[in-house]
Amino acid sequence: MLNSFIPTLAFLFQQAEQGRLARTWEAAAHPDLSKFLVIGALLFIIGVAGVLTRRNIIVIFMSIELILNAANLNFIAFSRYLQDTGNMNAVAGQIFAVFVIVVAAAEAAIGLGIVIALYRNKETIWVDEIDLLKW
Amino acid sequence: MTLSGYEALFFWIFALAAIFAGLLTVMARNAVHSALFLISSLVSVAALFVLSGAEFIAGVQILVYVGGVMVLFLFVIMLVNVGAEEKGREEIFNNQRQVTASLIFCLLLVGGVLYAVSQGYPALQAHNKTDPLAAAAEQVARNRALAKGATGTSRITTDTEKIGGSLYRYASLPFEIASVLLLVAIIGSVMLARTLKQEASADDVDPETLQEEIALDPDLAKLKPRSE
Repeated sequence: MLNSFIPTLAFLFQQAEQGRLARTWEAAAHPDLSKFLVIGALLFIIGVAGVLTRRNIIVIFMSIELILNAANLNFIAFSRYLQDTGNMNAVAGQIFAVFVIVVAAAEAAIGLGIVIALYRNKETIWVDEIDLLKW
Repeated sequence: MTLSGYEALFFWIFALAAIFAGLLTVMARNAVHSALFLISSLVSVAALFVLSGAEFIAGVQILVYVGGVMVLFLFVIMLVNVGAEEKGREEIFNNQRQVTASLIFCLLLVGGVLYAVSQGYPALQAHNKTDPLAAAAEQVARNRALAKGATGTSRITTDTEKIGGSLYRYASLPFEIASVLLLVAIIGSVMLARTLKQEASADDVDPETLQEEIALDPDLAKLKPRSE
């Protein structure tokens, strides 16, 4: 384990000597599209982790909202990117974001209706106890 | 697109807030805490929308997500609250093997994303304005050109106007379909959340099941379908 860290540290020192870290700081002071994409991807991955690991079905729904929100962030960032690279009226990404929000609201309403019906019948919100369809 | 100065500072503040609140949403033991952390994550992302010039979407995000969907979530949490998880008696995560497998999957995703961004970064840089300061000055000039609001201190953005125009000009069919989708969602959630009593009074239970349920709960027999 430690052996794999030492080359990484050596690599980092090498980068610092070459002035790459200064350039990274310069890039951080001027966040561009790629930073938005990374933030969106991290939110998406957190949402995926929530869906895969949690037992509470309501928290799983919240993680799905997180995933959809990460997708929205990408849409908005690309819309702004297109606006800045010439086409001032490029708002297709924002329109897509509106539709994503509409679908998320519909999904939340239906999903929570299902949760209430499920709780009324099975008295549980733990997904590992909801195994009626499990073969 | 390039943010600079205070925009960059606020970008990092809200980006970190969104990610930490997202993490806490997934980690929190109490579902109500999860919902509150999700609200702060959504508000931070709305701030990022404002930073990238999408004021209308930011407003919609606050109104629909925070004002509507999250209140719905909180209501459902209160309705089905089991109380066992916040007292620490119930495990909140799946069993160890499933968690390990999903975390490995997530790490692979992170690696893939970082690789993709590092590969595509030069091409992105080539499209960007060469000088971030010049791009920022251009943005400031564009904002100065906007009309002033009634109080004289704020600027009226043309973002909403552009979205409205494009939405009705190029996306009117999806817009109508979305309205049908919302109608279906309303009717569907009302249908799903009915109790057996409500179903019986609307004569919506099949006769054999109704007989079995009447054997358990004689009150159900008194409910006459309203349509008769």
